Amino acid sequence: MRPSAFDYHKASTLDQALALLAEFGDDGRPLAGGQSLVPMMNLRLARPRHLVDINALPLDAIEIRGDALHIGALVRHERYFTDPLIAEHFPAFLEAVHWIGHPTIRRHGTMGGSVSHADPTAELPSVCVLHDALIVAASASGERRIPATEFFLNAYVTALEPGEMVTAVEFPLPSGPTSGAFMELGERVGDFAIAGIGVVLGHDGNTITSARIVCSGARLVPVRSADVEAFLVGRTLADPGAQEAGRIFSAAIDPVGDHAASAAYRKGLIKELTRRCIAHAAGKASA
Amino acid sequence: MKAENPRQIGARVQRFEDTRLLSGAARYIDDIRLPNTLHLSFVRAQVAHGRILEIDTFGLEDIGYPTWVFTGEDIGNLSMKAHQDYPEMQYSEQPLLARDVVRFVGEPVAAVLAEDPYRAEDAAELVFVDYDPLPVVGTMDQARDASIPPIFEGWKNSMFVERQMKGGDLEAARAQAAHVIRRTYRNQRQAGVPMECRGVVAHYTPGDRMLTVWSSTQMPHLVRTYIAEELDLPEARIRVIAPDVGGGFGIKGQVFGEEVLVAWLAIKTGRPVKWIEDRREHLVASLHARDHEHTLEAYVSDDGRLLGLWADISVDVGAYSTFPFTAAGDPGMAAKVMPGPYDFQAYEATFRGFATNKCPIGTYRGVARPSAVFSQERLMDDIAREIGMDPIAFRLRNVIREFPYKNVLGFTYDPGSYAESLEKIRDVLADDIAAAEASKSSATTRTGVGIACFVEQTAHGTPDFTRRRVPIETGYISARVEMQPDGTVVIGLGLQSHGQGLETTMAQVAADALGVLPETIFVRHGDTLTSPYSMGTWGSRGGPLGGGAVHMASMQIAEKLKVLAAHEMQADKDAITLYGGRAYVTDNPDRFVEIRTLARHALRNVENLPEGMIPGLEAEFSLDGPRDGTYANAVHAAVVEIDVPTGKMKLKRFVVVEDCGTILNPLVVDGQVRGGVVQGIGSALFEHFVYDAECQPLTTSFADYLMPQAPEIPDIEVHHIETPTPLTPLGAKGLGEGGAIGPAAAIANAVSNALDVEVSETPLKASAIWHLSAHLRGEA
Ligand SMILES: Cc1cc2nc3c(=O)[nH]c(=O)nc-3n(C[C@H](O)[C@H](O)[C@H](O)COP(=O)(O)OP(=O)(O)OC[C@H]3O[C@@H](n4cnc5c(N)ncnc54)[C@H](O)[C@@H]3O)c2cc1C
Repeated sequence: MRPSAFDYHKASTLDQALALLAEFGDDGRPLAGGQSLVPMMNLRLARPRHLVDINALPLDAIEIRGDALHIGALVRHERYFTDPLIAEHFPAFLEAVHWIGHPTIRRHGTMGGSVSHADPTAELPSVCVLHDALIVAASASGERRIPATEFFLNAYVTALEPGEMVTAVEFPLPSGPTSGAFMELGERVGDFAIAGIGVVLGHDGNTITSARIVCSGARLVPVRSADVEAFLVGRTLADPGAQEAGRIFSAAIDPVGDHAASAAYRKGLIKELTRRCIAHAAGKASA
Repeated sequence: MKAENPRQIGARVQRFEDTRLLSGAARYIDDIRLPNTLHLSFVRAQVAHGRILEIDTFGLEDIGYPTWVFTGEDIGNLSMKAHQDYPEMQYSEQPLLARDVVRFVGEPVAAVLAEDPYRAEDAAELVFVDYDPLPVVGTMDQARDASIPPIFEGWKNSMFVERQMKGGDLEAARAQAAHVIRRTYRNQRQAGVPMECRGVVAHYTPGDRMLTVWSSTQMPHLVRTYIAEELDLPEARIRVIAPDVGGGFGIKGQVFGEEVLVAWLAIKTGRPVKWIEDRREHLVASLHARDHEHTLEAYVSDDGRLLGLWADISVDVGAYSTFPFTAAGDPGMAAKVMPGPYDFQAYEATFRGFATNKCPIGTYRGVARPSAVFSQERLMDDIAREIGMDPIAFRLRNVIREFPYKNVLGFTYDPGSYAESLEKIRDVLADDIAAAEASKSSATTRTGVGIACFVEQTAHGTPDFTRRRVPIETGYISARVEMQPDGTVVIGLGLQSHGQGLETTMAQVAADALGVLPETIFVRHGDTLTSPYSMGTWGSRGGPLGGGAVHMASMQIAEKLKVLAAHEMQADKDAITLYGGRAYVTDNPDRFVEIRTLARHALRNVENLPEGMIPGLEAEFSLDGPRDGTYANAVHAAVVEIDVPTGKMKLKRFVVVEDCGTILNPLVVDGQVRGGVVQGIGSALFEHFVYDAECQPLTTSFADYLMPQAPEIPDIEVHHIETPTPLTPLGAKGLGEGGAIGPAAAIANAVSNALDVEVSETPLKASAIWHLSAHLRGEA
């Protein structure tokens, strides 16, 4: 459990990082919090020849830019707990962060690292998909914005090209009052989820005007459900039909089964967590 | 006023070793750094069963730095042999490096050495092994299947061993029974996980022809003996040192092939050789545990008396027999202890150990007893449920109450507190039992209470091993106690302390006997050069046998001090009391002499010694275990709360009532119990070593192999009952393993109680709980 040989480069500007990544192509990797990359290197599941340490780059802003909340790639998970913009606009996001690992992990792990690593059970990729976030990817030849729903291609596989890195994620600000919730279940506190559900409800008075729902852990990428979302719109916060929504979502997903949890169990969890999550979000909104 | 010795035994003395262990001053195996060292990295089998066609080391030729490679062809017939010499056992050996055939994923195939550990690992990656796959024996069912060839050539079936044990008239019990209850129970395969993995450093110095081996082991003397025999070296020229050992739990209570191989490589290369096991190697290829399947049939009278028990015990012991407890260890132990704390006189058991293409099974805290107690105590609850009795009342009706008690297999139990412990737990849990009953009306939140009542044979003596013909052969523990000229004391202890607190408890024992403060006693252990020959630390024997040996040796010195004091103070020897560093005339404490003065006289100013007294203050004592050991007992109880829709379970309360006889140090006892319980919780809920159908391991890191962590562990309450045994010098019974024995049974019983279902296997992960509660969701 020792990494294979690599060269370490510390980038001091974004341009320098992008130039190095362009030079190394497939052989180079950004090093952010190291909470996923370093264990993978020790297990020799990842063997980058060159590590480009991006920790010195000024990519740690959380701020409103235009009609989106801009979160820099180097924002550490623990920051969300205390940032008022998250609590104000993205309650499901805030709840999701509580489920990420342990304090040490949250102190080091970053937004850019989490979305780039694309673990199918991770919270932040789900949160991005849930909020229709845009992933800002930069390379020596420019910048592009990739919708979260198109960014996650498979377990641990993203739309990033060699030489490209994430500089920020943009979360569109909600246009009216919203409520949200995120719930998951893991074997132990801090474990990756067996299944997780996030929901965001936009409402006008008592009426649900928009709905988004996401499930993590069940498939190789976070999944949304247009059926559940359509079902919820037009219902009331007092009676959102949470139980039926759970039934629809769980019927629509064909989850993975493995030694950690059977597929039937994941299906059952999706049903129950969907119900609880919607009821909780609706309850908060009407309170 | 009378001089009386304030007792150290039983006092809440803080552990002396903790200063070193908690401040970073401890020295573990990886801290052994010798100049010129070669670092070893293994090439390990990647297929579960295959014939080695070729080992290709071509890639090392232009690697750019020196490397050394050794394969099975280079090591002659060096191997690990762990055989029990009786007709029902089939012979096997494990070559130190696989020759011809590999039998589990992770088996060492080649040893690659380089001057830097990173380079050794890089180099090992460049060695390619080509295999011709052989049919895999992956499960006990496949091992039972006569159409699949056994993994050893010439074997008549896939069993290391199959044997019977019996006592009494089972036919009569069956005929009298009003109820016959038959169930099958299973415990999953686990890894045993000490915080520090294994590791070996060896160095041969031609000048004094000394081979020194450092190993993270629980049994340095046995490692020395095995190396001497296998490498044909004089044992006098081998020194084995266990430095600070970061946990062992029985996993390091074996002699491993790596220990012998690293020693051989050091001689062969003429340089120090170092191997530090990494976590993946540890999980995949050190030693596994449990993997039991028991079918039990109980015969019960109309009024709820157990009349007899029939047992069929199968254990998947993996690919090799391990030294010194062998492939028969786990199955045989399960059969032996299955009668437990209950009074019945008809029993018949068949036990077998299957050979499969998995990592070998070995001793892990509790050794078969967690599985046996799981089955026994699940069965007690299932019987109680079937015949409509309260589970505690049912146990109280059947528990042994009169001692000494000769059990159905002829083992004699010394006095214990089985009924009192059950009554105590019933009082402690009264509110939880009522709450569990009340939760029965809920289909969403259920609480349950479960208990496990057990005895643990500890401090086994030589006869126990002779009967079983185990290669450990003997069970004594030795201690050498030496007082220095300044009155301080060194104890050379044959035990090895890797978390048991022996540097403190053994000092307490000696302090009482010698009348000195425990702080003035230095307990040395884990080094064959400074400790007398002993079997090491395992089997819950440190307190009763190690403590007993230290006590007996110290008493011999105390005796000599008293004779000397009596001589110097013109008093009668029997009128002398030793305490607080002084020898007093008991009835006249104004008259005393400092023990350090006596020590100086005994060791340096020997001209004034009484006529005929030999200089020196040194004594050694070897204490063997009693014929049948001494039986500790305990009741464990778990209170669980289950969220039925999600299967999420919370362990709300865990209570232990334990009786280990005389308590040497309550802090240490509580710590041992709690640590064991946490491991038992791991067995019950999380830890599962999983193989796929091809016997490829799936849980090879802590991301998949789940250990219990602080948030999952409730405050563990420990209550004590002290029933000293007449069979050991201090009245102590063993307690090191007990904590790990009860939790799986207690927790499974609590789940059974909460959900009103029978629970037949572990681990009880969320998925399992959810499936078990289907009926409450109207799904079954
Ligand atoms: C014990 C443990 C428990 C954990 N539990 C959880 C959990 O419950 N939920 C969860 O979501 N996560 C969990 N994690 C993972 C943690 O959140 C990681 O920090 C995160 O997934 C990766 O972030 P990082 O900054 O550490 O990235 P790194 O480890 O530095 O990098 C991860 C990958 O992303 C690439 N990368 C990093 N930054 C960028 C960038 N800006 N652009 C492009 N590529 C980039 C790296 O090259 C690498 O391939 C856990 C980790 C550990 C060790």
